[in-house]
Amino acid sequence: MKTIFISALTLVLSMTQLFAQSDKYTQAMTTTVDALNQQEGKQPDMAAYQELANRFERIATAEPKEWLPRYHAAYCYTMLGVMGDDATQKEQRLDKAEAMLKEVETLDGQPDDEVEVLKAFVAQGRLAIDPMSRWQTYGAVFGEHLAAAKAANADNPRIYVLEGTSLFYTPEQFGGGKKVAKPLFEKALEKFATFKSPGATYPQWGKGQAEWMAAQCNQ
Amino acid sequence: MKPLYFLLFLLTTTAQAQTLLSGKVTDRKGHALPGANVFLKGTYDGTSTDTLGRFSFETFEKDTATLAVSYMGYESFERKLLLDQKEVVLTAKLEELANELNTVVITAGAFEASDEKRMAMLKPLDIVTTAGAAADITGAMQLLPGAQRVGEQEGLFVRGGSGLETKVVIDGMIVQNPFFSSVPDVQQRGRFNPFMFKGTSFSTGGYSAQYGQALSSVLLLNTTDKTSGNGLGVSLNLASAGLNYDHATEKQSVSVVGYYGNLKPLFALVRQNIEWLHEPEFVGSSLTYRFKTSQTGLLKVYGMYSDSRMSMNSVVPGGEGIKNRLDLHNRNAFTTSTYTDSWAEGKWLLNSGFSYSRNSDNMAFDGLGMDRLDERTQARAVLTRLLSGNNSVLFGAEIHAINLQNGFGGTSYSLHDRYTAAFAETEIYLSRQMAGRVGVRTEYSSLLNRFNLAPRLSLAYKTGTYSQVSLAAGQFYQNPDYRYLYRNPDLNFERADHLILNYQVMKKGRTFRVETFYKNYAQLVREYTGQPFDTNPYRFPWGSTNNAGYGYAQGFDLFWRDQKTVKSLDYWVTYSYVDTRRLFQQYQVLATPTFASNHNVSLVAKRWFDQLKTSVGMTYAYTSGRPYYNPNHERFLTDKTPAVHNLSFTASKLTSIRGNFAVLYVAVDNLLNTRNVFTYRYTADGRTPNGYSRYAVGPQSYRSFFVGMQVFLSKKAVVKKEDL
Repeated sequence: MKTIFISALTLVLSMTQLFAQSDKYTQAMTTTVDALNQQEGKQPDMAAYQELANRFERIATAEPKEWLPRYHAAYCYTMLGVMGDDATQKEQRLDKAEAMLKEVETLDGQPDDEVEVLKAFVAQGRLAIDPMSRWQTYGAVFGEHLAAAKAANADNPRIYVLEGTSLFYTPEQFGGGKKVAKPLFEKALEKFATFKSPGATYPQWGKGQAEWMAAQCNQ
Repeated sequence: MKPLYFLLFLLTTTAQAQTLLSGKVTDRKGHALPGANVFLKGTYDGTSTDTLGRFSFETFEKDTATLAVSYMGYESFERKLLLDQKEVVLTAKLEELANELNTVVITAGAFEASDEKRMAMLKPLDIVTTAGAAADITGAMQLLPGAQRVGEQEGLFVRGGSGLETKVVIDGMIVQNPFFSSVPDVQQRGRFNPFMFKGTSFSTGGYSAQYGQALSSVLLLNTTDKTSGNGLGVSLNLASAGLNYDHATEKQSVSVVGYYGNLKPLFALVRQNIEWLHEPEFVGSSLTYRFKTSQTGLLKVYGMYSDSRMSMNSVVPGGEGIKNRLDLHNRNAFTTSTYTDSWAEGKWLLNSGFSYSRNSDNMAFDGLGMDRLDERTQARAVLTRLLSGNNSVLFGAEIHAINLQNGFGGTSYSLHDRYTAAFAETEIYLSRQMAGRVGVRTEYSSLLNRFNLAPRLSLAYKTGTYSQVSLAAGQFYQNPDYRYLYRNPDLNFERADHLILNYQVMKKGRTFRVETFYKNYAQLVREYTGQPFDTNPYRFPWGSTNNAGYGYAQGFDLFWRDQKTVKSLDYWVTYSYVDTRRLFQQYQVLATPTFASNHNVSLVAKRWFDQLKTSVGMTYAYTSGRPYYNPNHERFLTDKTPAVHNLSFTASKLTSIRGNFAVLYVAVDNLLNTRNVFTYRYTADGRTPNGYSRYAVGPQSYRSFFVGMQVFLSKKAVVKKEDL
């Protein structure tokens, strides 16, 4: 009797611990993703993104089967990869983002469109480091990933945020400029209005940027 | 109930046993690392370091735990902790990972143009935007340190070496005919478009054991792995019209190019110093197919064919009005396929290739048939094993079958050679500061029926954050010029020994490099005719030959490039000095060869004007006088031509034509219309039957210009300034 009681107790205890662990995950993810979403549309803050990347990475190491913390860490590193002016550091951060995305791809549950969009963002970051020499290589990679994202889910608004940003910085003579970029940001914002995120901890980024860029297009 | 109490007790102690972890994260020298990730592995407990590198956090974990610290660019740090106290304090010292700035690279003799991540002194784009290079790969390389310009011949003349001493290598395969067929006193362009390649490495000596058959230099070209899938494009210029089509899917891509060219319109506009009977006319095509066989495997197949004809009157020294007619019909085919793959997370790498080339020149010179035919079939495989800490070791082998036929005034000569080589090389990093590369290559030629063994060595030592010194040494063998082998297959390999010392500083957009070298030539072919020196470029070497020739070349070169000081301005300056003499071919005394110039200077500048969407480039090139043969002078090759000056200009503008993206370009060569003389040719006896004992060989034209455009017809194509 005593043994049964103890075993049951141990079981309950370990169960609660298990629940506690998953509770911990949800709680940690919710607060961290919230903090990340707070950064959206703000002046880019390297220290803040590094701190967020660290938090996501810690969750990722504790939860080897979850793709989301890895995805968000990859996003933070991509953002870090387009900030600052040290080419070597930018390259290292984008390398890190790519490594994280590789891990994401081995896990269950990750949506293809989001991963492809982020890969395109990484390519855009690489291109920006040395556009003169890298256009041929990374311009193509950028296009490929966006095409793959569209094939998976053409309603993902982030596709159009990246597409618009790329056009925004392309000279008018060559099919770029504010005029052609603007409809893409508008399209992105429309898609954001109807886009149903599967959960609060899923990717949310891009809306702030689309709003800001759309405003720039009107100037 | 005791056990339950015990459990409860345990639970409460767990709740209370809270440990405070604090400390500091620094680099090896004790500098704080802010923003480092500090955590207990497998838990949610952790934090980031503050601006002073400090951290502190609490944990409910008990017994032992592993503290991990990670920071971008540094090796991650791990330590097992015993959590038996209320507070644990520690300092984590992180080791920097190997990167471009803190790790030495083996550089002596190499000049790289690559778009890969590592720093390169020259990007592939620089080749097409450099004035005076005429969008030709070798044209651009001639403006780099170590190269000597020879205006009337094609090829790369490196550090006192002849044009035949440089091999052009595409994806590891030797290119038998990298230039359009040679005609007397007219420099030919390379056959390959610079945009085909993702990386170029120009070695001015001391190169890797992976390559052979070049006494002076190798020009390594690596083809791109993918296209951008730009669709249809049209190119139109004063000399040619072409179409290109690119299509890419996820795994495969194909590029097709077709062109027709005729230099008649250009030559009607630009005054020619050559009397053309049939201006060069050419038609050609190429096809590239790439297939990703797996995540890591890549198959590339490239094939090209071109057909060209021309006819000209070649000047004969000794009299105005006497001319030799030259007719040339060239057909050239080159195919190469390579397969690359890697296994075990990139620890094993395979590079393999197969190539076939065939070149035929139907040629008549002064009515004499001079037909040439050559074929080269080659296969090559290199296996590389990457070891820990950047170390690597590679093994490889190659085999070539070469057939040559040559007609000299009715007599036809032919030869067959089977050339095999095996090589092994290892790169060893003794520390971040010091690295070495040791290699050995062995070659066998069935025609010579001889073996050789060539050791190669490179060392590099990092002297500061941005500077390093390197040293390279080695032996290099090459089969003698095939024209000697037709009559005497008993000749031995020719040999060169290189010793190179290099110092370079690369700091944020500025590069300074100085290199000094000594090159020893041995076993060079000498020909004994018992007659005066014969300068006829088409003479057949009929004298007896042996390998008694020798010589040396020594000198230094300087390179300075600045992309930083003035915004959107990029300029570089090179100076190369060489002192060289040799006793070879028909020479009877040690002399500076006709292709060697002591001083070469080039100033290259380019600037992008954002408002005009235009890139403008200027180049000034100076080549000091070269020796020429004067039969009236008792001392052999002691006369020198005047120096050669060339100021050139190029501009490219991005625009759109009826909604299609287009690039317009214009180039002017020899802006100052300088009457450059490359060499003089005399009558065989130096006498002057009617007042003309010699004539001056100069460029094909003095001041000349070229305009053209490239239009992208596909709406998919987005051209940026980066495409220029």
